[in-house]
Amino acid sequence: MKPTPRKRSLRSRFRGGPGRVLLAVGLPVVLVAVWWAASAGSTDFYRPPLSRILVAFADTWTWDRIRSDVLPSLARLAVGYALALVGGVALGVLVGSSRTVRALLEPLLEFLRAIPPPVLVPVFILLSGLGDRTKVLVIAFGCVWPVLLNTVEGVRGRDEVLSDTCRSYGIHGVLRLRHLVLRSASPQIVTGARQALSIAIILMVISEMIAANNGLGFTVVQFQRGFQIPEMWSGVLLLGLLGVALAGAFQLAERRLLGWYHGQRTGRRER
Amino acid sequence: MLEVWNLRKVYDAHGRRVEAIGDLTFTVPGGQFACVVGPSGCGKTTLLRCAAGLLPATAGEIIVDGARVTSPPAGLAVVFQEYGRSLFPWLRVRDNVALPLKAQRIARSRRDTLVDEALAAVGLADAHTAYPWQLSGGMQQRVAIARAIAYQPRVLLMDEPFAAVDAQTRADLEDLIRAVWRRLGVTLLFVTHDIDEAVYLGQRVIVLSAAPTRVAEDLAVDLPADRDQLTTRADARFAELRGAVYAQIQKVKTGRTEP
Repeated sequence: MKPTPRKRSLRSRFRGGPGRVLLAVGLPVVLVAVWWAASAGSTDFYRPPLSRILVAFADTWTWDRIRSDVLPSLARLAVGYALALVGGVALGVLVGSSRTVRALLEPLLEFLRAIPPPVLVPVFILLSGLGDRTKVLVIAFGCVWPVLLNTVEGVRGRDEVLSDTCRSYGIHGVLRLRHLVLRSASPQIVTGARQALSIAIILMVISEMIAANNGLGFTVVQFQRGFQIPEMWSGVLLLGLLGVALAGAFQLAERRLLGWYHGQRTGRRER
Repeated sequence: MLEVWNLRKVYDAHGRRVEAIGDLTFTVPGGQFACVVGPSGCGKTTLLRCAAGLLPATAGEIIVDGARVTSPPAGLAVVFQEYGRSLFPWLRVRDNVALPLKAQRIARSRRDTLVDEALAAVGLADAHTAYPWQLSGGMQQRVAIARAIAYQPRVLLMDEPFAAVDAQTRADLEDLIRAVWRRLGVTLLFVTHDIDEAVYLGQRVIVLSAAPTRVAEDLAVDLPADRDQLTTRADARFAELRGAVYAQIQKVKTGRTEP
């Protein structure tokens, strides 16, 4: 049977191709233009014109600066985030697979989750000093929760028929973990990982603002304390851009990892 | 060979006791194609899950090839009704069929041969790289059948495998499963609620009573081995057998109030 060609609606035309790009970029462009126009000729010390901020941006974020402040931040972020992913998924599989472990750990996990991670920065400083380890720990501790809780849900919610299939075809151990447990939970794990990523960025900045001698958070605070206002604003801009870039990278990874999931859902809707 | 001895299954949940299977005894000799029919809710799926070792029996025992079933036995494959949920949506068709073989640590070259043959046998030789959700329902069930074939079971259990596909696909799949059974010589227990299907497919039809389930009737199907959707279903003997099974099911349905 040949699918009947359908006229593409205006909406679908906007959602794919150049229309989509226009929609995605349109509002930011308008906002930047408004900012530019509204701040042009501003003499307010704390709200410099956007043109000055952009000049400061180019002057500030040189390759040297990137190496001395941006890369260390990103490294902490990467290590802390990776720890949270691995730890959260591993613990989540354990908690999700066993009712006993769940009953045992749930109250403790609820308690730990309720502690706002920035509060732990001074504690971690006492315990592990002012170095990178403290920041990595704060990031990992703060963003492990969405990964952990979503993994637990995903592992618990796996399909019974598929579990039975594994049992009757003798699919045990590592194969089962890889092809049944982790894969069925992967949509939820990805949801948790996405939430965790934004928390990780926040904690990276906060931990560097409190105790660091380099990094993005540290630099922004230094500029503010030194009344280098355009430079400070440029740091904020850079953090925003970094967030967008990381979210984009995340989306690419998700599309690869969850291609089957989105395909399945689209297929179901069309049928 | 599949033996069911005095099987009894009682579900005990939330203070409610449901006796799904009362006392069930029958034997399917090696290589036989046996169909199980019964009124809805008569514990057909429970029987199959017990036989597959997926559900512990309350009493009685099930013996597959001489060994008592306590957990899913080796050499036994199951095709579930919910094809959409029994295939791994994240694996391509080929990998779905190959995964149980991988679990058995069958060498790669042998695995490839088995998968190729199985997919060819169900008419999916050109769908290796598709994902299950890209296929129609009937094709998905073919993949599940291919997976069972590649597993080379001695006993094959099928739980209303064609209940969720359209009538024409269903007829094709019925002929497919007859062909597969004849080629493999596998012992096949086929659970269905469809009387016509049971008579058309089986060498034997076991009619179950309403819950608590017993064997109400055990009927040999003496139709020729070569069956055909047109001529077999038009056969007078087919109509006779179909009528006998139908009457029996009506009897167990209305007889439910009797002690």
